[in-house]
Amino acid sequence: MKRYEIRVAGFGGQGVVTIGKIAGVAAAIYDKKNAVQTQSYGPESRGGACKAEVVLSDEKIHYPKVRSADVLVALSQTAQDVYLKDLKPGGILIIDPLTVVKEPPRADIRVVRVPTAEIALRVGNKKFQNMVVLGALCQLTGVISEDALEKAIEETVPSKTLPQNIEAFKKGIEYVRK
Amino acid sequence: MKHPMLNYLKETGMYGDRFPTIFCPGCGIGQILNYTLNAVDRIVQKDGLSRDRFFFASGVGCSARLTSHYLGFDSIWSLHGRAPAVATGALLARPELKAIIFTGDGDVAAIGGNHFIHVCRRNLDMTLICMNNGLYGMTGGQSAPTTLRGIPSTTSPYGNVENAFDLCQMAITSGASYVARWTTAHPQQCIQAIEKGIRKKGLAFIEIMTQCPTHWKQEPAKMVKKFRSQGVRFSQEKEKETLKKDQFWVGEFLDKDQPEWLETYQKIIDRFK
Amino acid sequence: MSENNHTAFEPLLTEEEAKKVVRGPLLPGDYYLFGSDACVEGAIFAGCRYYAGYPITPASEVMEKAAERLPQVGGRFIQMEDEIASACSLIGASWAGAKAMTATSGPGFSLMMEAVSYAVMSETPFVIVNVQRPGPGQGYITSSQEDVMQARWGHHGGGSLIALAPSSVQEMFDFTVQAFNFAEKWRVPVILLADETVAHMRERLTVRSREEVKVIDRVRPQDLGIPYEKYLPYEGTVPPMPAWGDGYRVNVVGLVHHPDGNITKYSPEMHFACVNRLQRKIEDHVEEIVEVEGIFLEGCRHLVVAYGTTARSASEAVVELRAKGKADVGFLRLKTLWPFPENRLRSILGQLENIFFPEMNLGFMIHPLKEALRDRVQHFISIPSLGQLHTPEQIIEKIEEVIGK
Repeated sequence: MKRYEIRVAGFGGQGVVTIGKIAGVAAAIYDKKNAVQTQSYGPESRGGACKAEVVLSDEKIHYPKVRSADVLVALSQTAQDVYLKDLKPGGILIIDPLTVVKEPPRADIRVVRVPTAEIALRVGNKKFQNMVVLGALCQLTGVISEDALEKAIEETVPSKTLPQNIEAFKKGIEYVRK
Repeated sequence: MKHPMLNYLKETGMYGDRFPTIFCPGCGIGQILNYTLNAVDRIVQKDGLSRDRFFFASGVGCSARLTSHYLGFDSIWSLHGRAPAVATGALLARPELKAIIFTGDGDVAAIGGNHFIHVCRRNLDMTLICMNNGLYGMTGGQSAPTTLRGIPSTTSPYGNVENAFDLCQMAITSGASYVARWTTAHPQQCIQAIEKGIRKKGLAFIEIMTQCPTHWKQEPAKMVKKFRSQGVRFSQEKEKETLKKDQFWVGEFLDKDQPEWLETYQKIIDRFK
Repeated sequence: MSENNHTAFEPLLTEEEAKKVVRGPLLPGDYYLFGSDACVEGAIFAGCRYYAGYPITPASEVMEKAAERLPQVGGRFIQMEDEIASACSLIGASWAGAKAMTATSGPGFSLMMEAVSYAVMSETPFVIVNVQRPGPGQGYITSSQEDVMQARWGHHGGGSLIALAPSSVQEMFDFTVQAFNFAEKWRVPVILLADETVAHMRERLTVRSREEVKVIDRVRPQDLGIPYEKYLPYEGTVPPMPAWGDGYRVNVVGLVHHPDGNITKYSPEMHFACVNRLQRKIEDHVEEIVEVEGIFLEGCRHLVVAYGTTARSASEAVVELRAKGKADVGFLRLKTLWPFPENRLRSILGQLENIFFPEMNLGFMIHPLKEALRDRVQHFISIPSLGQLHTPEQIIEKIEEVIGK
């Protein structure tokens, strides 16, 4: 794999950075690829804009940030509005229809709607939303193995909530498999 | 006959001759050096502590010159006001060291003010000996945070428009464990206070009012004699009395046993052993 | 409020948590860490057991990791009242025998210059990590390389020191170990010039064993069998350094001095010899200190030079240009910024038409570069960026503007 670029954006508090971190750990430690993860924040930590990026490669990674994303996860309307233009033609756009209501104004991409917040609520709490995203990413991109992500989730989340986190993750995979 | 305290100094040696010292004739710093060495000697003799456990730190100014190269101990003539910070690093790196800091009123209360109140707040195990002459001596007699209101100096030619700190009160309020003030006219009390301060596990602040005959333009002997009437023995009963304008309290203001920084932090380290 | 003072203290830590902790340097293996965390682990690996710091964006994470890890490895951490106190405390810790470190950013770095200057004169080793942010003044809180000149020239007076520029999480570990090794070997303060991007990035860190990665400790007079009163004057390049408490009764001073430490017999000759020696200590040993890394240097007519995180944007740009058919573009990375690797560059570079130098500042290191290579290079083109990492596109665009597509 030459270079695969993942960008996740949303509000602060949606677990955006954790998505990046877990994806990075999974790819780098368990799938033994190269993975650079970066993030940036808006002014407020809750409700402000938040973005995480992961660049994956089997080769050495020079530039550590996204140049032209292969996949964009937009968990807020602003995220889609601001970052859609940096998605490659033929790239994958994953949106949560709860918050991203406007039709993405591009015809050359693959749009996948995943109700991450709703699925998370069914598992037990909206905060598991980011696990649903990881499941969707895993299934849709195929660049990080399910096994690696499970291990990464296990070492990141508190052991008390591990079962629910894994459940949310698996539901994310299931949902897009259909 | 050789003065016994000279055993603790480097009269000659690796760096050549140090004596006579640079201090002005009649300066109180020489006395304070003597009192300090006497206190250290008592501890070395009574407690069996090796003198190589001590290190001295100073900032800048006349007081700081004591560490320039006279001491037969590990020492550092560091940066203006920063000796408490330098000593903090040394103690945390090697907690068995005993830190004695020589400072002056400008060094400890102006540029060093922040470091002074914080080592008191932390109650770190060190002894601060402040030689208070009420101005900046080395640089020519400028007013200091301890110069009394109305007094003229090279930077207050029309009289000092500012108020003065009470350094002992600052130390007490900030959290020190042992606080005392004496003058160069109280040799035994100074030695005892310094000895107590070194033994105290926590921050000891000992202020010693010192004559600077050069800048105050008075005879040293007269100044020292005057200290005895200016310094009024403190006691709880007398506290309500008002002092005359040029008087100040002397005595032990505080002597508490309270948790010290290194011993508190050690509890964290011990959990990981 | 003051009722809470002086009360008994119990660490907030369960038995379980205490057991899980790594009570020493990280064991060999792969880890996925923040750059800031990798830096602290590198320090611990190198033997650092004293950390003092003050909060400042974007360097606070280094301090927070140090607060967590130092007691775990038997060291001590303290948050000081300001950056001045932090840096000054490194002097004391170092003279008490410890390897000491602090981290800060531009505004705090300025406050530390007094201590750096003292350390240069007194030959006191320690490491300062500068996670650079834009200036001047409060500037901003994103990435920057604007303190690269200050690292060398910011302390008042002469004398040299060493500064390294890491560009990855691995290098945040490796260069910190290297920084301590240099500090101990040359008895000099060493600056790690990181930036917000590399500090806040996560990548894999591979920790190797102590057999593979050398750690250097300062030479003490007792290591050479030299007793008290006999260790000065010292004939070699770097005097052995005793620690307080070892019985050497060493008086540390920041004035100009004779080789035996005498500060009273002033003379212009002594003064010159003293400060000149501090400069020569580093400048005469540049080849032993500097490291650069080049790719595609064979037959290159146009060279892109970079350091720190910018080097990653630059190397990406060069790789892409070469893939597009530009076979005469090469890339050179400066791993050491100070001392500046002038002779090393001259030994590996021939005649060049253009040097492109992207920097996250308005063109600082391009000056010593010009000085080193002016007779060999026709044009030096600075590619500045403020507050953010260059994109490869920015660099490619500039290059194609000059040499054509």
